[in-house]
Amino acid sequence: MNPVKRRTHYSGVEIWRHEAGRLGWAACGAPVLAVLVAAVLAALAAGNGAPRPQVSLALVTGLEALLPLAVAMAAASVVATNRARELHLSLPTRYATVLRRRLVLLAGVTSAVAVAFSAVIWAAGLWSETPVTTSPLVWAAPAAWLASLAIFATLLSRSLLLSTSVTAGVWLAHQIFVTAFAAHDWARPLYLFPVSRLGTYPGWTIDRLLLAATIAPLAAGAVVLLHRPEWMLTEEDA
Amino acid sequence: MTGVREMRAVARYEFRMQIRKRSLWITIVLLAGLLAAARSGMGPRYASAPPGAPAREVMTRWAFLLSVLLPLAFGMALADRLVRDRRLHTTELLESLPLGSAGRLTGKYLGSVAASSSPILLALLAASGFEAVHRGSPAMVGWGVVAFGAILVPALVFVSGYALVCPLVLTAPLFRVLFVGYWFWGNLIVPAAMPTLTGSLLTPIGSYAASWLVGSPVLYAGVAGPLSFLRPAPTAVSGAASIALLILAGLLPLLAAGVVQARRSMN
Repeated sequence: MNPVKRRTHYSGVEIWRHEAGRLGWAACGAPVLAVLVAAVLAALAAGNGAPRPQVSLALVTGLEALLPLAVAMAAASVVATNRARELHLSLPTRYATVLRRRLVLLAGVTSAVAVAFSAVIWAAGLWSETPVTTSPLVWAAPAAWLASLAIFATLLSRSLLLSTSVTAGVWLAHQIFVTAFAAHDWARPLYLFPVSRLGTYPGWTIDRLLLAATIAPLAAGAVVLLHRPEWMLTEEDA
Repeated sequence: MTGVREMRAVARYEFRMQIRKRSLWITIVLLAGLLAAARSGMGPRYASAPPGAPAREVMTRWAFLLSVLLPLAFGMALADRLVRDRRLHTTELLESLPLGSAGRLTGKYLGSVAASSSPILLALLAASGFEAVHRGSPAMVGWGVVAFGAILVPALVFVSGYALVCPLVLTAPLFRVLFVGYWFWGNLIVPAAMPTLTGSLLTPIGSYAASWLVGSPVLYAGVAGPLSFLRPAPTAVSGAASIALLILAGLLPLLAAGVVQARRSMN
């Protein structure tokens, strides 16, 4: 009788392919959907006779505001919905490692979509607000900030409803309170959408870096909570 | 009558499940508290009514303020209610029950909408209680209920239809992304900036109903934009038409889902 050989080792490619499958098409599709919505809105504006700067603004809004929102919601879903969490905690691979892999994949998809979309806008001659070389600053800082908030809120509250509502509320507040952010020197670096809502101003790149620095406490909080995965076991039904 | 009784049982059970969701209460309290605290910085559009203003205006302004954010949380809460059955693999079990898919859908709809809107009603009643004491007018409570019915109920009915049904096609995460984007695009962006339904009869934030209750245009109600036939001058008639249209438009996806589910169960 031949003993059944059990595989004990999986290659890196296999693991990442598996994690991509676990991430799901909805999470991977969220950044694509965001830029598609922006493209449709820009096309509608152009069809309505809007001038080129307005069409350009609609596209940049997609990159700076819609894409981060989509990524944050997807990140919250990735963290909140795991149907085999209890089982996972019994495995040698840490739960934090698995979540980190999935979030890295989401970040990779987001970056690829954002770079491709920026290139398309630039090739169409509609990139006008900032030098195209600074385009990652337009989307990366707000995307990372909102996603960190969503992940932290999900891990802390153990509720997808609470974390997505808080993230959506913060996103909408940044859209509504634009004049309040612009009026105060201390608040301006914390504003998520300066390029599309305030226009580029001297020092906006430094403000972006300052915004990126404020991710640190959210990320640190998320890391601390991720190292206590049993905390996630008593969440409400997501 | 058996079907009605069973539908009520489904609604009651759904209500109990949803009303006990701690995160629903925390979310509504957080967002309502944030709106109340930040109100002074939101500009005259959302500001508190001046001293001596009639109770109708005071409570309409409160209801309008809450309608900026709370329907968002409401939509997020409902987004998984039908998807959940599929995820937990209980759909087939539920389909074996004597109650048909239409009755089950109606029961789930009524129960989840009633439960998710309860914290919003309580938030507005808390505001009306505060105003009743602060301004010395018990009429605030009555006008609070009226404003809830005219501004928030149509918004919640409109949102609930799409929040329950769309995730079945889009998945809940994608629906949530699109819903937040829609809420900003369809309610708060001025039509001069890009083609949008803001300021039309189909704007769920309730600008027509609020204009009717306050007596002057609120947040772009009737402003020029695409689909001009949906942008009459804000009056009592157009306010009532907006309420009716929002409720009807909110029920459409539910009807579509009912028809699809009924056909599927027949095959």
